[in-house]
Amino acid sequence: MCKRCTVLSICLMLLVGLTGTCLAAGTLVVALEAEPTSLDPHQLTDYNSVRAAAALFETLTKFRPGTTEIMPGLAESWVMSEDGLKYTFYLRQGVLFHDGTAFTADDVRFNFERQTDPNHPYYDTGVFGYAEFTLGMIDSIEVVDDYTLVFDLKYTFPPFLRNLAMASAAFVSPESLEQYGADIVIHPVGTGPFQFREWEPGVRVVLDRNVTYWGEPATLDTLIFRPIINPQSRLAALEAGEVDFMVNPPPDDVVRLQNDPRFNVEAELGQHTWWIVLNCQVEPFDNKLVRQAVHYAVDKEAIVDGILRGTGEVAVNALPPSVWSYTEDLKIYDYNPQMARDLLATAGYPDGFEVDFWVPESGSGMQQPVEMATAIQAYLAAVGVTANISTWEWGTYLDKVFGPPANELPAMHEMSWIMDNGDPDNFLYILLSGEQWPLDGFNEAFYQNEEVDRLLREARIELDATTRETLYIEAQQLIAEDSPWIWVDHAYETFVMREGIQGFVFQPTQGILRFERVVFE
Amino acid sequence: MTGYLVRRILWLLPVLVGVTFLVFLTMHLAPGDPVKIMLGPRATEETLNRVRTELGLDRPMPVQYVSWISRVLAGDWGRSIQLRRRVLPLVSSRFASTALLGFSALFLASLGGIGAGIAAAFKRHTAWDRMFTFLAIVGFSIPVFWFGLILQFIFGVRLGWLPTSGMIASIGGGGAWDMVYHLILPVAALAAEPMALIARMTRSSMLEVIQEDYIRTARSKGLTEKVVLLKHALRNAFVPILTVIGMQLGFVFAGSVFVEAIFSWPGVGNLIVNGILARDFPIVQGSILLIASSYVLINLLVDVSYAYVTPQLRYD
Repeated sequence: MCKRCTVLSICLMLLVGLTGTCLAAGTLVVALEAEPTSLDPHQLTDYNSVRAAAALFETLTKFRPGTTEIMPGLAESWVMSEDGLKYTFYLRQGVLFHDGTAFTADDVRFNFERQTDPNHPYYDTGVFGYAEFTLGMIDSIEVVDDYTLVFDLKYTFPPFLRNLAMASAAFVSPESLEQYGADIVIHPVGTGPFQFREWEPGVRVVLDRNVTYWGEPATLDTLIFRPIINPQSRLAALEAGEVDFMVNPPPDDVVRLQNDPRFNVEAELGQHTWWIVLNCQVEPFDNKLVRQAVHYAVDKEAIVDGILRGTGEVAVNALPPSVWSYTEDLKIYDYNPQMARDLLATAGYPDGFEVDFWVPESGSGMQQPVEMATAIQAYLAAVGVTANISTWEWGTYLDKVFGPPANELPAMHEMSWIMDNGDPDNFLYILLSGEQWPLDGFNEAFYQNEEVDRLLREARIELDATTRETLYIEAQQLIAEDSPWIWVDHAYETFVMREGIQGFVFQPTQGILRFERVVFE
Repeated sequence: MTGYLVRRILWLLPVLVGVTFLVFLTMHLAPGDPVKIMLGPRATEETLNRVRTELGLDRPMPVQYVSWISRVLAGDWGRSIQLRRRVLPLVSSRFASTALLGFSALFLASLGGIGAGIAAAFKRHTAWDRMFTFLAIVGFSIPVFWFGLILQFIFGVRLGWLPTSGMIASIGGGGAWDMVYHLILPVAALAAEPMALIARMTRSSMLEVIQEDYIRTARSKGLTEKVVLLKHALRNAFVPILTVIGMQLGFVFAGSVFVEAIFSWPGVGNLIVNGILARDFPIVQGSILLIASSYVLINLLVDVSYAYVTPQLRYD
């Protein structure tokens, strides 16, 4: 081969290498399902934003990777008073924000009061949908010195340490807020293992390793998030080598990807439940037997296999399985149409009945709402129950189902919930306590059982973990007996990554993806 | 000509006011609460009410409209409800991406469509003509989103020749060539339908013109068929072709919603769809205002180019 040809060949190979699938050292490209809406941790309400922001910010406590257990974060240690109303935190020293300013106790108070105190100078720099929920139990914050502070709570609240590990309790540099004001949403400055480089709207969010990080530095040099909304396109980008990691591939492709040696597929159970709300205050679902009957009538396994293609786990309990206190020692509703017919006959409905069934067309955590509703409609028809489906666009649906009294809601409607802080209170109390009927809470089934209410109320203020667990188990058993919902499945979060990517951790609380320890084999 | 231009420009104002009012009305009459969607399910009723007041969503609709339009005129397009970002820079950068995609597609469609149309007219009633007609029917009938996915699969995934999505390479990237490289597939997907339509219109318009006496005269003077077609026929056939190209601009913007979703092109289409789903009034209104303005402006340019191509249309 002539010398010129050799040089040309080498150039061509280099060109192919540059434009092809070659990965720059230490850079991971992650395809998200949508673009983050904001990178201000105090204003995040959606998964994609939390996922992009998670590596930038830190909290006083944090979840042990991959679990719902609490461990020290920016607080090295803490002491709770005996009555559970006072928490003293001792902060880690030598922590710097990405802008070089030191993190101190004053910054904790600044960040929390920014969200809860209308008189705070930066209160008007955002809209804080989670503030009341996450920090509403704090009565006052006293800064003792630069690295010590004391929280006084309004009432005993055992999940407090978990709330402090949530995104809305993360710390933004006060100086950056002063500099950017309301534009902080696109100029995030935290203390996390990665720091923000750029956000090209609709294109990518680029983060670099934080070289002044107080802890073990991140293994990756650069972490890039790309929003690719269409699942098929997300998969195409992965298969073409344009991204290294993708979230939630199309369900129909999961089996093929599992058998493809180029990729690793990980399916992780989040803290999600998908269910049908049964309106417990109006006929016919004010009768426990009828609720049990329709629960028996639905073949959950067939729905999970046939419609969800195995991207969920059949629910035997309303509570997600990864939450502590979860039990399967309760009434289980295996598919049994004969039992359903018998129960309906006993309840006085031998010929069934007709009900309205509201369904959203799509929605966060709603999986495949219309297909699932159609299957459920067919299962109910098989035992004599006619469910008339009405479908709604998600925004309209939320407006219709959150708020109106029981008599304005249909007998059945679909809902799902993704837990935040990994504590059963975050699910059982707000969704199933009789004290949490809308508008006080989200018990849209308008379910009420005084014994359940007592157990959930006691568990909310009980400081002993073992006693709490006993109370929650008992509550779950009573709820299963009453069947205020038809719980159908718990969704898996599915991740596909290039073969050889190691060290990724899924954090079930808030569905966070941890890439700090990722290495390429 | 100047008087004609001034009249046309003045006519744009009521059109734009009408469009903004209709969009405003549609968005505000649609059910769904932007604050509820934005704050998520954990927000208390008190927080919801406070935020509604802060955003001015508790005021009567006409007051909101007048306040919005007067702020827009003053250059303040507000902040997005969902994204909390300034609307104007966000919408403008997204619109620029859509315009790049749309105009590239329209340029390709015009070039290919006119070329194919002339060739079909030139070779009328031959196998070439039939092939162009067949391709035009296919191009016109094929759904954009399906064609996009097929292109993505063949050229991106299978052959690996072109990127499957995005506007620049994930790592590094950003130069003009990188962008052109990323433009090829979405432009091809978006251009197929208008190209087919332009080709059909060029062919039929050309065939109509070549029946005219002056074409026979040109031929009888001994001019070559090429000169007759390109010099004498094409210019006279151009008015309906220009009209179709102008009208296709609307299609290109509408079609870009699908193409942007498939190829993750960071255009205004995606922004509008998300804005509608989140009831993000300022984003949707701002985007539509920008699109409507450019649409009426393009129509004006088309009308002006008529006047250029056909002097008898100059009205003055």
